[in-house]
Amino acid sequence: MATAPYNYSYIFKYIIIGDMGVGKSCLLHQFTEKKFMADCPHTIGVEFGTRIIEVSGQKIKLQIWDTAGQERFRAVTRSYYRGAAGALMVYDITRRSTYNHLSSWLTDARNLTNPNTVIILIGNKADLEAQRDVTYEEAKQFAEENGLLFLEASAKT
Amino acid sequence: MAEGSREVVALSQSGAINSLSNGGGGTSAQTNNPLSRKLHKILETRLDNDKEMLEALKALSAFFVENSLRTRRNLRGDIERRSLAINQEFVSIFKEVKEAAKEQTQDLIVKTTKLQTESQRLEIRAQVADAFLSKFQLTADEMSLLRGTREGPITEDFFKALGRVKQIHNDVKVLLRTNQQTAGLEIMEQMALLQETAYERLYRWAQSECRALTQESCDISPVLTEAMEALQDRPVLYKYTLDEFGTARRSTVVRGFIDALTRGGPGGTPRPIEMHSHDPLRYVGDMLAWLHQATASEKEHLEALLKLVTAQGVEENIQEVVGHITEGVCRPLKVRIEQVIVAEPGAVLLYKISNLLKFYHHTISGIVGNSASTLLTTVEEMHLLSKKIFFNSLSLHASKLMDKVELPPPDLGPSSALNQTLTLLREVLASHDSSVVPLDARQADFVQVLSCVLDPLLQMCTVSASNLSTMDMATFMVNSLYMMKTTLALFEFTDRRLEMLQFQIEAHLDTLINDQASYVLTRAGLSYIYNIVQQHKPEQGPLAKVPNLDSVALKTAMVQFDRYLAAPDNLLMPQLNFLLSATVKEQILKQSTDLVCRAYSEVHAAVMDPANEYKDPENILHRSPQQVQALLLMI
Repeated sequence: MATAPYNYSYIFKYIIIGDMGVGKSCLLHQFTEKKFMADCPHTIGVEFGTRIIEVSGQKIKLQIWDTAGQERFRAVTRSYYRGAAGALMVYDITRRSTYNHLSSWLTDARNLTNPNTVIILIGNKADLEAQRDVTYEEAKQFAEENGLLFLEASAKT
Repeated sequence: MAEGSREVVALSQSGAINSLSNGGGGTSAQTNNPLSRKLHKILETRLDNDKEMLEALKALSAFFVENSLRTRRNLRGDIERRSLAINQEFVSIFKEVKEAAKEQTQDLIVKTTKLQTESQRLEIRAQVADAFLSKFQLTADEMSLLRGTREGPITEDFFKALGRVKQIHNDVKVLLRTNQQTAGLEIMEQMALLQETAYERLYRWAQSECRALTQESCDISPVLTEAMEALQDRPVLYKYTLDEFGTARRSTVVRGFIDALTRGGPGGTPRPIEMHSHDPLRYVGDMLAWLHQATASEKEHLEALLKLVTAQGVEENIQEVVGHITEGVCRPLKVRIEQVIVAEPGAVLLYKISNLLKFYHHTISGIVGNSASTLLTTVEEMHLLSKKIFFNSLSLHASKLMDKVELPPPDLGPSSALNQTLTLLREVLASHDSSVVPLDARQADFVQVLSCVLDPLLQMCTVSASNLSTMDMATFMVNSLYMMKTTLALFEFTDRRLEMLQFQIEAHLDTLINDQASYVLTRAGLSYIYNIVQQHKPEQGPLAKVPNLDSVALKTAMVQFDRYLAAPDNLLMPQLNFLLSATVKEQILKQSTDLVCRAYSEVHAAVMDPANEYKDPENILHRSPQQVQALLLMI
């Protein structure tokens, strides 16, 4: 038999958090569908997507829960941190306010997840270099101070 | 021979000697003499050793009987003649042999050709038979794959063999159309039997595979997916397998839910959901979020399981099975939510819980569709229950308002009961505003909440104000209505209520405006004069003749009125200072001033009218209505 007996060996749950409009759903869509969604509607509550990836020969199924950034959903989305292996904390590099709110998201993430949950900071919309409002170095330093992984990304490019 | 060769050596030696001795001589050498060479050759011949020669001589002696000169001369010719005769005889004899042989082999050749053709024909038949077999029969390997041992694993090859059986079963129909019907029917029956055996084996295997899927994260193997694809041809087996899957997953989900509630994750993280049962919103929210995620995962599992199934109604199958899987958690969920609701955590929390339930009803139905899933029904039931208890709680609050109506406070501001109720209303509406319930449902809720709270509230205010003076009552009502209005104005879907409140406010404002105007007119001494002027008819004679309306009386009044014009604020009803809204107060002042102005201009017109026979009227009322208006509008 050519195929392995199983589709994947592990399943990991992730949660995406961050302010409204930073592109959380677009990142997820790009990750699962490999397409950029030009006008993505506001997420209502919580949505999810899955993708199977391969890490050093092991297939891993990622189940990613994409939360609404709007404040009014905060109470609902807080229930989704449970059991997450990682949290992707997203801000928009062209809007400083989304960066300034990170500490509030980080507090939620720390309070509601396990100590060994990995928190990854993502500066989205890296393609809009001309409108940049938060420098790479500044965010990098914030990530280091808080023990977060950090990278800049673009759901578009 | 050895002897001969020695002689040759000797001869050549002697020749060499000869050639040496005759080195310079012109005579031909003895060795080159043909005669001597011939002699040598003859001498060298060893007749007794040459069998051929002996044979020849023997044969010769058979017919060469007379050795005479004549016979010797004719010998060659005789021999040749003899040879010819022999050859001729040979030829004729051989011809005979050839003829005979030819006759004999002819038959053989025919037979051989026949056999060859036969063999070719058979070979073709064999090929045809092989082709037929390979097309219409399974190999031994394939057979054993399909029949297999009961508990043996199913592999990819099994499906290939099964596909072959199906193919053969299909292809064999061609045979039925030809005159090979017996073979066709037999093969068909054989294949049908094989198929049944194979499907049964596959079903048993798939059933036991499904039964083993009791891990929280369940992985569907590609072989199982293929098994479902194959089983769709046998709807009953397909359905039973799905049932088996559903039953296994159902108990897994129930176990997972109870674990999440009471045990939490491995090592206690995340903490058990029940640890938060003191916080009703979080408790209910966590449970529903867990179920939402479980439902989504279960749907994914089913989608993986039925990925290859092409039959119609797969989506319905998935919804149905997800419905079955999530049915098990309904009881533990219901018991817990009921406990929360029945404990009456207060109207606002009840309302938030009701909205949360509504939200999850919406979210989960996005996954399981609108099929009659028990989970959805349970969530909807809990939503209705929480809403019912919420409205009960609101109604209770409202009826308490009417039970003990307070007197309005001395400052005619909103009563504490009003303030409290409005705070409650604000909290309820605010939590609604932040809810995720669709617009139309939200609007319907609003109408109900507002009538549940506002109507008793208005009633309470009216009752509470019933013993007050008109002015006090109007002021109190305007203040109370104004409070309600400002509270509602922050929220959506309140337009109709706001309009209604505005009408009520305006009704009370009219009272206040008129009262303020007459308050001013009375205190400015114009009230009496104005009343007479209004009621006076020309046939009653000139106004100047009316008692207390002579020019002296008018002048006295005008002095008072001037005092008012100098400081209009001094003639403000005390109640107006209790008005909470500056805008409302402004409006009352403006409109009452307008009324005063209008009264003055009427009086002024009457005095100026020569028919009323005032002497030197400009001296009596020295201010024109325009002047009065300009002075009063300066404030």
